[in-house]
Amino acid sequence: MLFDTTQLVVALLWIAGAFALAIALIPLLGTLPPRGRFALISFVTFIAGLFFAAEFFLPVGEDNKNILTDPFQKMQGSLQVITALSLGLGTYGLVRLHLRNAVQRRPQWGYSLVLLIAFVVMAFFSIWNTMAEKGLFGIERTQLLENAFTLLFDYTLIQLDATMFSLIAFYIFSAAYRAFRIRSIEASILMFTAMLVMIGIVPLGKLISDSIGLPAVQTAEMRTNPFMLENILYNLRLPQIAGWIQETLNAPVQRAIEFGVGIGALAMAIRLWLSLERGIN
Amino acid sequence: MEARSIWERMMRIDRRILYVILAVNIIAALMARVAIEPDVPPPVKRFYDTVEALQPGDMVMVSSTWSAGTLAENQPQFEAVLKHLMRKRVRFTIISFAPPARDISHRLARRIAEENGYVEGKDWAHFGYTPDIIIAIKGMSEDIAQTIRQDVRRTPIAELEVMRGIKSLKDYKLVVDVTPSDTLGNWISYRPPDLKILYCPTSVMAAEAYTFLDSGQILGMITGAKGAYEYERLLGIVGLGTRFINAIQFSHVLIIFFILLGNFGMLMQRRASAS
Amino acid sequence: MSYQHAEDNWFAAILIAFIALAVLVNIWRARRGKALYIRRIPGLDAIDEAIGRSTELGRPVTMIPGLTGFGVEAVQALTIFKYITKQIARFATPMRLLTANATVYAVAQEAIADAYNEAERPDLYDADSVRFLSSEQFAFASGVAGLIQRERIAANFMFGIFYAESLIFAETGNIVGAVQIAGTVSFTQVPFFVAACDYTIIGDEFYATSAYISREPVLLGSLVGQDLSKISFASMIVGGSMISTFIGTDHPIVQLLGKPQGWQSFVEWLSQVLGR
Repeated sequence: MLFDTTQLVVALLWIAGAFALAIALIPLLGTLPPRGRFALISFVTFIAGLFFAAEFFLPVGEDNKNILTDPFQKMQGSLQVITALSLGLGTYGLVRLHLRNAVQRRPQWGYSLVLLIAFVVMAFFSIWNTMAEKGLFGIERTQLLENAFTLLFDYTLIQLDATMFSLIAFYIFSAAYRAFRIRSIEASILMFTAMLVMIGIVPLGKLISDSIGLPAVQTAEMRTNPFMLENILYNLRLPQIAGWIQETLNAPVQRAIEFGVGIGALAMAIRLWLSLERGIN
Repeated sequence: MEARSIWERMMRIDRRILYVILAVNIIAALMARVAIEPDVPPPVKRFYDTVEALQPGDMVMVSSTWSAGTLAENQPQFEAVLKHLMRKRVRFTIISFAPPARDISHRLARRIAEENGYVEGKDWAHFGYTPDIIIAIKGMSEDIAQTIRQDVRRTPIAELEVMRGIKSLKDYKLVVDVTPSDTLGNWISYRPPDLKILYCPTSVMAAEAYTFLDSGQILGMITGAKGAYEYERLLGIVGLGTRFINAIQFSHVLIIFFILLGNFGMLMQRRASAS
Repeated sequence: MSYQHAEDNWFAAILIAFIALAVLVNIWRARRGKALYIRRIPGLDAIDEAIGRSTELGRPVTMIPGLTGFGVEAVQALTIFKYITKQIARFATPMRLLTANATVYAVAQEAIADAYNEAERPDLYDADSVRFLSSEQFAFASGVAGLIQRERIAANFMFGIFYAESLIFAETGNIVGAVQIAGTVSFTQVPFFVAACDYTIIGDEFYATSAYISREPVLLGSLVGQDLSKISFASMIVGGSMISTFIGTDHPIVQLLGKPQGWQSFVEWLSQVLGR
């Protein structure tokens, strides 16, 4: 059986109830004046946010749960359902646009046609493959499915994905060539730091440092006497400089930015929760 | 229209010429048989030492969220990690939080497992794709069989020989997160407190992870294909990281050369304009 | 250590409450008419300039919220895009808003329609100007790059969360000669935007955008509250470093500031001190 009958009936009752609630709410929202509508939406937003805040702050038992934890997890599951529904909406919008382009022969309608054909073909074989994997409706894997799926997934999708990622290597080359110029002090610092890290993190950096005679190993004596010449020379190795930039310069700066971003996100969340958020006028 | 000076032309090289030069450089480097010993950085060394400290029969979770786009960076890491785990005769399970990642990781793991005498279901398993990472980690921290239910071959989790004696993530020694995206924060936030984390990001994502390395929330890190090369040297194997490293380092040299060239052109052009 | 509940670390929960209080108090102060200062952010000043350039050239403007899932970043990005759309509507400049998340797409359609209504140009709204391309990262990147190239866009606004595809957008925009302004909280993509865009807005400047452009008291007050929180945290870090230098890292006060489990040892120490 595809579904359990009782569960199916319960699910359908829940869906019908949700529809009925939505249908009842829409005329209610329409009859309210704008201020009343704002008040109702603010109230619902506040209660919804309060649920999550309360779940965080309420004390927990030995099983690391409080009375809101289980409903919270169910709520997270319902967010997945909303995401899936909106994916259908997005797909509809995409197909509608390109179908109209192709039918009305708008400029560059050929690309739209290619998209539609690729969409249908990929969807058909993917759905067939998933149903065969799960054994739904008695569908089995055939040689045609294997070959088509291998051709579409392994030989087309994976290669296209990897190709697009590889574009970044070329683009960073042209971007770096254009942007890393000594126009100002900040630009110069950026350029030199980038060059040091680029050469320091690869084996060539070690080779260059070895070839100019810098100590290759940090001995115990060098660790206990950090200001001895050998230790200073060791720390001038390109890998050591690159590592220092990444760990000692980069990490604190990143923490600082993350502090700001985290506080900014929290402030924005509070504004949204309390309906204090204003658009830009 | 005034003819452009050589310096102006140097500063404004057509980007297509740059792309061709880079492509030729990469192809030549991939074919070159130049082997340069790396300076293994401490995060990679700690990664290696943490896996080396595992005992036969210990359980490890490999979180594999990468797909075709980051194949070049994550596949060398994934393969090297699995080979090391199999060398240590450690049990492991793989889980994916992106749909394409499931097939790619399952196929690769099957190939490597066959080469190393590992049997799926007995020595390792793939839990398939799970959409919500937070719910999955929280659920697996309590009960894996309840959360995941069946592996990618549709065998119930409770019936897998590899899961004998394992109820939840609390029974795991380690999680290795091989990812191009932001899954690390979820593992740090929601895992059982004693579960150690090792991280295998793409090079771009690595910059974010140094704070976690510093605080000890992750024990080790392999950064992209370059990190995979360093890890392979520690393991004494030749893998994809070793094959790619020349392309990476000679591309870096080329970029630095052209940056210097562009700046040289800019300085000479300024002098020419001044005079 | 996981932070699923306040009980895992009450000190962290207190800090969250402190930030919330700082924000709310300063919103209240701003509403009472207190004048609040905000420094100049060049990237945001350039938005109107970029829109003007597109209008002169008669070429479209693109707005890309990146791979942002629906959350505070998406709301902020859409707030900025709504402002840009209202400016565009005055000059009837064509626009494209390209999303990789279906939920953001659904909300963006409504936001852009509202923007045209508020600008009193509902006739200019074209539902096809807001597009969902693909939820796959590089399929989305190739769609955006193709559109930028085909339509020869004149201005490109990228606000939101980006991953590896950021450089594909930025460099493609550079190829067609577009003015580009990017704002992101994705720390790892900032170098790519700095290299390829004309202006880059980093970190919490992204959240300050709406306050900066509108000068709305509630938003400015919130910004001041955020800055006060940051100053407090910086003081705690400096103070904690100095204290731990003198009294060692095992002291309960240092444990409270620096260790996730520090709350327990701090409470025990405090009970002993107060009990004496």
